[in-house]
This record gives sequence, C-alpha cells and structure tokens, in this order.
Amino acid sequence: MTNSLLFGISIFVYFFSMVLYVSYLAFRSEALGKVATLTLFSGVVVETAAILLRWYESYQMGIGRAPLTNLYESLVFFALTIAIFYLILEKKFKIKTVGAFVTPFPFIVMAYASLNSNEIQPLVPALKSNWLIAHVVTCFVGYAAFAISFGVSVLYLFKAKAENKPGKKGDSLLDLLPASEMLDEIGYKTIAIGFPLLTIGIITGAFWANVAWGTYWSWDPKETWSLIVWLIYAAYLHARITRGWRGKKAAFLSILGFAATLFCYLGVNLILSGLHSYGGKS
Amino acid sequence: MPENEKVKTKGIDFIDRIWGFFTSLRLVIVLLLVLSVLSVAGTIIEQNKPLQEYYRLFRPETVELFLKLGLLDMYHSWWFTSCLALLALNVIACTMERYPSIMKGLKTANVVLDEKLEAALKDPAKIRYPLPAETVEKRITDLVKKTFPAAPVVTQTQDARHFFYEKGRYTRLSFFLTHLSILIIFIGALVGSLFGFKGYVNINEGETLSTIQTRQGENKTLNFGVRCNSFNADYYETGAPKDYRSDLSVIMDGKEVLRQTIRVNDPLTYEGITFYQSSFGSLPDNVTLEIRGKTDASGGTVVAPFGKQVDIPGGGVRIEVADYRDHFHFPDGSEAGTAIGVNIFRPDAEPAGVWIYEAHPEKNTHFGYSFEVKGVKVRKYTGLQVNKDPGVWVVWTGCIMMVVGIMMAFFTSHKKLWVRIGTDRKGRVELTAGGMANKNKFAFSSELARLFGSFREVS
Repeated sequence: MTNSLLFGISIFVYFFSMVLYVSYLAFRSEALGKVATLTLFSGVVVETAAILLRWYESYQMGIGRAPLTNLYESLVFFALTIAIFYLILEKKFKIKTVGAFVTPFPFIVMAYASLNSNEIQPLVPALKSNWLIAHVVTCFVGYAAFAISFGVSVLYLFKAKAENKPGKKGDSLLDLLPASEMLDEIGYKTIAIGFPLLTIGIITGAFWANVAWGTYWSWDPKETWSLIVWLIYAAYLHARITRGWRGKKAAFLSILGFAATLFCYLGVNLILSGLHSYGGKS
Repeated sequence: MPENEKVKTKGIDFIDRIWGFFTSLRLVIVLLLVLSVLSVAGTIIEQNKPLQEYYRLFRPETVELFLKLGLLDMYHSWWFTSCLALLALNVIACTMERYPSIMKGLKTANVVLDEKLEAALKDPAKIRYPLPAETVEKRITDLVKKTFPAAPVVTQTQDARHFFYEKGRYTRLSFFLTHLSILIIFIGALVGSLFGFKGYVNINEGETLSTIQTRQGENKTLNFGVRCNSFNADYYETGAPKDYRSDLSVIMDGKEVLRQTIRVNDPLTYEGITFYQSSFGSLPDNVTLEIRGKTDASGGTVVAPFGKQVDIPGGGVRIEVADYRDHFHFPDGSEAGTAIGVNIFRPDAEPAGVWIYEAHPEKNTHFGYSFEVKGVKVRKYTGLQVNKDPGVWVVWTGCIMMVVGIMMAFFTSHKKLWVRIGTDRKGRVELTAGGMANKNKFAFSSELARLFGSFREVS
C-alpha cells in the first residue's frame, strides 16, 4: 500500500525537522531556523497526503471509510494535528526556539504508531456514522492543543526558575526560550482553544451514542475520562480567569490536565475496557 | 435590646457565610477537582456488572464493602449525586451573585468622553489637525466604520462632539449561557430518569410483540406492537459483521401504521419510544434427528420441536432440544460448527445434557444411542434496545447553549471606543480617542493602535 510508504517518509521528515530545530537552538542561525520550519511543513504535507491516500485506498479496497477509526490511524492524526498546531503558533507568536521541544512529539507519536498494525480494516456497524469525522477531529485537535499547552507549561517551569535565579545570565539554553510571561500566555491560549473543541467532541460523542446505543451518557470509561479531562481544564479556566492563577499553579494544572488527556486517549484503551474498544490493540 | 440585635447580626452573619461559601470560587475549583477524582474510581471498578462477577474478582468482604459504599453503581450513589447537586447549587448561587454586575455591563455606558473617563483609558490618542472640524469628523468616522460597523452615538457638548462606538455587547451574556447550560443538562437528565425508561426485547422473525423487559427486570407493555418482518446480517470476508438490519412494522389495533428498516446508528422512533438495533441471534424451530439405538427396533427419525420433550421410538427414552449454537467450539478451542444442546431423559436416571454436532456424527454417541443431525429449521430473532427519554431534547438544548456560550466567552469581547473632536487652547482642531475591552485586552489595544495610526495620517 502506497499510504504506508508515505507515512514512512513522513516519519523521517519529522525526524529531520526535529534535528534541525535542535541545531537551530544550538547555532542560532536564522537560515537554519527557516529550513527547520520548512522541513516540518513538508512533513505535514507528506503526512496529509498519506492520510488522504489511505482514505482513497480504502475506497479502492471496497471498504471506503475515513482513516480515523483505530489506534494506528488516531496516532497518525494526532501527530499531524500537533505539527500543524505548532506551526500556527510559531507563526503567530514567533517562538521558534520552542520547536526543539515540540517537534520530538510528532516524531515519537509517528514512531509509536508504526509499531501498530496499519492494515485498513473494514468498519464495524457501530462506527458507520456521519458523526465519526466530527467527533474524532474535534477531540484530537483538542488533544493536540492540550499537548502543546503541556509542553509550553513544562518549559515555563524551567524558564521561570531560571529567571528567578539572580546573576549569571547569558549562555544557558533556557535564555534562548521566550520570556516566561509569553510561555504562560501561550499555555493559556492553547487551552482556550482546546477546551471548546473538547466540549464539542464530548457533545458530538454523546449525540452519536444516543443514535447508536440509545443513551447519550452511560459512564463508560472513555466517556468518564473525557469528562475528567473536561473538569480539570474547567477548573484551570475558572482558576485563571476569575482567581488570577498564573505561572506555576496554572502550569501544574495544565500538566495534570494533559496527564489525564493521555490516559483518556491511550490508558483507557490499553488498560480499561468498555464500549470504545475499537481504539485499542487488536 | 442590644442582646437582641446581637442575635440578629449573628443570623445575618451566618447566612452571609453560607452565601459566601456557595459563591466562592474555591468551592467551584474544589468541586470540579473532587468530581474528577471520584469519577476515576468508577472507571477502575467496572460498574453495574452482575454480582457474581464481583465475587469472582474480589474477596466477599471486599464486595460487601463496595456494596455498602455504593461503589458498584457509584455514579448513582448518594455521595456522587450530592456532589452534582452541590455543583448545581454553586452554579445557581454564582449566577445570582454575578447577575447585577453583568446587567450593569449590558447597559449603555458613558457616551461622552469627559476628562474623568479619559484618565481611565489606557493609551488614549491625542491628535491635532490643520483642517476644519467637519472634514476631520467625516474622515475619522469613515475610518472607524471598518472596525466598528454600527453607527455611533453622537453627543454635542458645549465645546466638542463625542462619538461612542460599541461592539459585542451581548458577549457579556456568555456567562449565563455557559453556567445555566449545566443546570439545563442536569434537568434534562432528571426528566429522562423520572419519566423515561430503558429496556430491551428480542423479536423472532414474523412475530409481533408489545411487551418489553426494562433494565430493572420488569415487564412493560407498550400501547402498540412491533413486528419483525425480517432480519438480515452481512459479513465481511474476514467474518467481521458489516451490517445488520431489521425490517420492523409498528402495529396499532391490528393495522400496520409504520414500516421501517433499522440498523445500527439508524433507529426507529414511534410515540417517543425508540427502537435501536442492538443484537441478533437464532433459535431452532425444530431439529430433525436420526437416532440409532442398540437394536434396529429402537430409534428412527425424530422431529424435535425446540423446548419440548419427545419420545425416541421403542425404549422409553425421551429427548428435548434445549440449546443451539451457530459456531460451537470444542474445549481445545477448535471450531465445531453447528451444535444442538439435547437433554436426555432415561427411566430411573437423572436427566443428562449433551451436545450433538452436525458436522461430527462420530462424536454423537451417548447412552447407547448415536445421533445424526438431518436438518435444523432455525428462526432468527433481532435484539432491540427500547428507550424512552423525554429529557433528551432538554439535554441537547443545554449542550448547544454551552457550546455557543463557550465560543462567545473565548472568542468575542465587548469593545468600546470613544472619539471626541474639539479644539485645543490655541483653537486648533483636536481629536481625542480611546477604547476599552472586557476580554482579550492585548489584542484590542494593538487593534486600536493600528486604528489610531490611520487617524494620524488624515490630512
């Protein structure tokens, strides 16, 4: 299948973009930075082509379905959304130095995906629905936003610590990062985008469940964990907007939120059982 | 008298304190985090399984402890429900608390840019023009139109003309949308659990049923019947199910009033009751067996209806077809094909259950009789989930309110702009302008900086 070949190429391109972003951090050459961004962008292009091709090939096989239905496909899509999301942030906030810490994620996620079976399997009847695309896309773009907020929050913690240390400024790696207020702000902004998307993802999921199983909420582990994630970020937003939690406390909540997100995404499928078993290993 | 007053203030104090507790942000954050921690428990201990499964997994005293704590159905336990109720109270209290200030923000603000307001604005612009006031007014209002399309409120004072522009005033209502939506979803869930039901029914092909079993194990009679005209399942080459569908008719007073094919993700609704394709299976109508005994005289061909005892000719032994499997597996896991569960009743002996395999007649010798399956007449049935939930539309209304509210809260803000055109001490035309936004202040101030930059280019 040609789509696997393209996915394989995109893993390499992501790897090179990661190397370039790290070298950019080390050598601080503008030209290198431009090449890094371009490489990441071409990784996105190749991977998008791979996903579209996979979609097309599923029709050729007579199965015909969106490539968003099992662990492999969700991981691949997750890597793509992280990369796209980061590129947009880089353009908007001019934070190229953060790239060295974000670009490993698409690479690692893709590499992990490649350990799973990538065969195009036909859909079980429950997944045949127009809600599939809306539900999966909103959830995963939300997850990607949370992933970036997590990365930026970790950087914030290091940066804020370095800023508070008196004296010696200059050559440390941390000095290359954007100012801590900027990291704090990006950590919030990304959650402000992820939270509405997660909300829509949960609601479309509830609507779909009502059509397929006759109940919009059944406290299945996946549903419950998505609610847990939602509750944590809701707490974050209330704390930040109304109580003015910034900096360290906000960063810790963002990290906790992403830990819950990861469990909701992978932990539930690999460890717990329930109605959402399609995402797990087969 | 003074003592009396003391008591009174104490009372007010107490109410104030309760009110303060319910409206405090700390309560919101603690509740949200407590709810998420509690919810984890129910995903680790599987909920609402048959009791014997818990006894298989845990020690009896542990199961009893779980039962006492309500951990086996924790999302409906008194403590989890109380947390949700507390959240609802908290939402109500906070909404009441915020109501006056939100309504005040909705009212038209000061439309005149006086000195006091000017002092309160961040980075106001002051520009002087060597042009007549009318020309400045025309050019400036044209420029503002791109950012604030609505017409301004114009006020003429003694020495200047004031223009007040406003955008996104109703974004202030997003607080009500997001918070009341939670209450509405709760109400919808409550309506569903009070006035709705969930149940299931298996209907054989060709059969009409009007009684279903609810989850609580009761029988419930609907005021119409449902007939399964036919059931079909398609499979992929791999054997995985591709599609299954039931052709159903709704029968009212002996007449068909609705006919529809349902499949997974495509249910049928009649009188507020919805039928979902959930499972399927087949049961034999009757099985034709060729039975050979020890002698030629005992045995023969027997047609055994499902669930009824019949005689094996010449021996006083009776059999009953009690079970049927499409894909039976031998103990070692290998495929056995179709298998019929048969109970054998011998005189003066306990009844015994055996499996008769259609594809393996050599394994079918029991108690001196050998059995061979000559034919199976199967009848397919469809398994339907049957629900009534009058609260579901209330829940969807709440969901839409929540999404709209969140979008408004994060992506819109209430923006105001004041422009004053007057004269300075030397009599030159002087423009003063400044703005305010309730959210996204940073983005708005750079938007204003661009606008004021274009003001400066007016000549």
